[in-house]
Amino acid sequence: MSRITTALRTPMSRRLITSLATMAVVALMTGPSGSATQPTVGPSGSFGEHVSIFGLFPGPRWLLFFIFALVMWGIWSFWLRRGTTIRTAASTLTTPPKRAFAHRPVRWGFYVVLIFLGVIFPHLVTSQYWQSVMVEQIAVFVLLALGLNVVVGFAGLLDLGFVAFYAIGAYATAWVTGSLPTPAPFGIHLNPFFAIPVAIALVMIAGVLLGTPTLRLRGDYLAIVTLGFGEIITIFANNLYGITGGSYGSGGVTGKHGIPHFSINLGPIHYRWTLNPVPYYYLILVFVVIFIVAFSLLEHSRVGRAWTAIREDEVAAESVGINPLKYKVMAFAIGAASAGFAGVVTAAQTIFIFPATFTLQVSINILALVIFGGMGSIAGVAVGAMVIQTGSMYLLHTPPAGYQPADLYMYLGALLMVTMIFRPMGLIPSRRRRREIVLTESGEGHMNEVLSGENP
Amino acid sequence: MSESIFVVDHVTLRFGGVVSLNDVSLHMDRGEILAVIGPNGAGKTSLFNSLTGVYRPQVGSITLTRQDGSTMEVIGKKAHRVSATGVARTFQASRMFSALTAYENVKIGAESHRGIGVVGAMLRGPLTRRDERQSDDRTVKLLQFVGLQDRANTISSSLSYGDRRRLEIARGLATQPQVLLLDEPAAGTNPSEKRELATLIRRVRDEMGVSILLIEHDMKLVMSLAERLYVLNFGSVIAEGTPDEIRANPVVIDAYLGTTSTAEA
Repeated sequence: MSRITTALRTPMSRRLITSLATMAVVALMTGPSGSATQPTVGPSGSFGEHVSIFGLFPGPRWLLFFIFALVMWGIWSFWLRRGTTIRTAASTLTTPPKRAFAHRPVRWGFYVVLIFLGVIFPHLVTSQYWQSVMVEQIAVFVLLALGLNVVVGFAGLLDLGFVAFYAIGAYATAWVTGSLPTPAPFGIHLNPFFAIPVAIALVMIAGVLLGTPTLRLRGDYLAIVTLGFGEIITIFANNLYGITGGSYGSGGVTGKHGIPHFSINLGPIHYRWTLNPVPYYYLILVFVVIFIVAFSLLEHSRVGRAWTAIREDEVAAESVGINPLKYKVMAFAIGAASAGFAGVVTAAQTIFIFPATFTLQVSINILALVIFGGMGSIAGVAVGAMVIQTGSMYLLHTPPAGYQPADLYMYLGALLMVTMIFRPMGLIPSRRRRREIVLTESGEGHMNEVLSGENP
Repeated sequence: MSESIFVVDHVTLRFGGVVSLNDVSLHMDRGEILAVIGPNGAGKTSLFNSLTGVYRPQVGSITLTRQDGSTMEVIGKKAHRVSATGVARTFQASRMFSALTAYENVKIGAESHRGIGVVGAMLRGPLTRRDERQSDDRTVKLLQFVGLQDRANTISSSLSYGDRRRLEIARGLATQPQVLLLDEPAAGTNPSEKRELATLIRRVRDEMGVSILLIEHDMKLVMSLAERLYVLNFGSVIAEGTPDEIRANPVVIDAYLGTTSTAEA
């Protein structure tokens, strides 16, 4: 008996048991659901139902998921042995950090190629569906993820209400273009281009107003307060009929005209953005490049270093003269700016905006993009946002058999769990963040002092 | 008498019912190496935290004199404000920014008192670049000063204890302080590192003109380094004097060794 329990405790068998249990849960979740009269249909169908196994031969579902479990166990045990990853990472700690492309011309060449790909990309996508997804679901979420990355990744503040800034940006656009039930400021209806600075200024003010009282809180408390803030903004949008049009959207019950598209009227140049998503893509692309350049300069400036210092040890940071509150509020405002711009684009492109677009689920979705891509890594969150958004839109467009739209978040959750287990630093980790995680794993860093309750 | 940097006047600090500092009065002069000693739990680190704005004593006042002669009340000020008036410190268990290199650690100290300059940072204009160069220069000089120039690109958490102490001193000096508070700098270091540390501390005072306030358990180091000492026990000052006076003081010997008449310290 004791030999069996010892055998079960080896890492290999522990991984096998975990894999089997995980796949059993997945089998249950994806299987048929029972009813009040036939409660056993769920479990028995989940395992007993006959399916085609990899299109090769028919077999019961349990066999399919058993094979999945073995594959998961194999990958886990032989390909991604976590212990070794951490060990090799720890050994690199003594060597100086290197840039991914140390050679300058190579790096610039790489950027030029990326921008070129970005420019020709819409011509490779011919489907109407994917062209609009590219703008509304991918490009906009890249912007949002870049913004949240400043807050979560650079400054280390957990913000669960980021969608609020997106909503404020969108509603501000509707407001200054005179498309809300409430009259525009000073009765002037602006082109959405002029809404960009107004909306960005408004969300930054909102960030400062929210941040100044709440950023004195730490960790979980901050997360709860931001969660509340996100909800407050959505509820305002829903209930202030006379101002926002309530759940009818920016048009209100009276069916006011929609938010105008962007347009340029400069002397001889006249151009109007229409319902065609491609011009919006280029507009966002320009801003994505601007935000990426600005944020990465910021990361490597004294502001970025101060954020890192606060994230790692707030007491020590304060002792060298850094004012933590000021820098945190700043991270909030700067991160909000890109969300505000995303709001402007969404408003101008979709013509009507609805409170239902700005739910808690969106906040969590953006956070998932940041965590999956790699907190604090600009390249990571941009790629992460593209990968996840493309994946979820693919599932929506060409759903596999039995897939319900509501299942999306289940798969997203599973993906995050797997990311956390195998690649806790995210898809493309930031160098500083990777070091922090390695240090925490190996028992160094200030977290241990915090846990052992030592006085500052 | 020379000019004071810190004047601590009848300061009492309580945590609930626990009295951590009890009616403490002391003063520190510009340019001296002053030490505070005492048994564990005597309130030495509490005193440090009160002097740097981390704790807020309920009673008394702590007056800090700036380089230009103006004075400031420390109690009630935030730690970063106190740091901006020229008070640098190290911590008992050294607190580095552990995922950053030695160089980055010092540079954070060197640039923390400048304005925030987000816009400048995003545009990276000529002024920002000049600031960066100045901070870089100061960082390099300080790393050389403490003898860590060869370890500039090492992640700070993989430095030895002795090197971490020196890095913390460099980071503190980078903020251009008038006084440096060292909380048990020799803890966890070996005898040869201790000797180097004593030399370094003396050089900080002599070459950079920074006054030193020191908490230390290692008596040999304290007695060789400090010009004047305060002895704390149970949150109160029980003695003050030169190393020779302290060594001969029966009250101090009581506190450290215990006699039949006193409770165990």
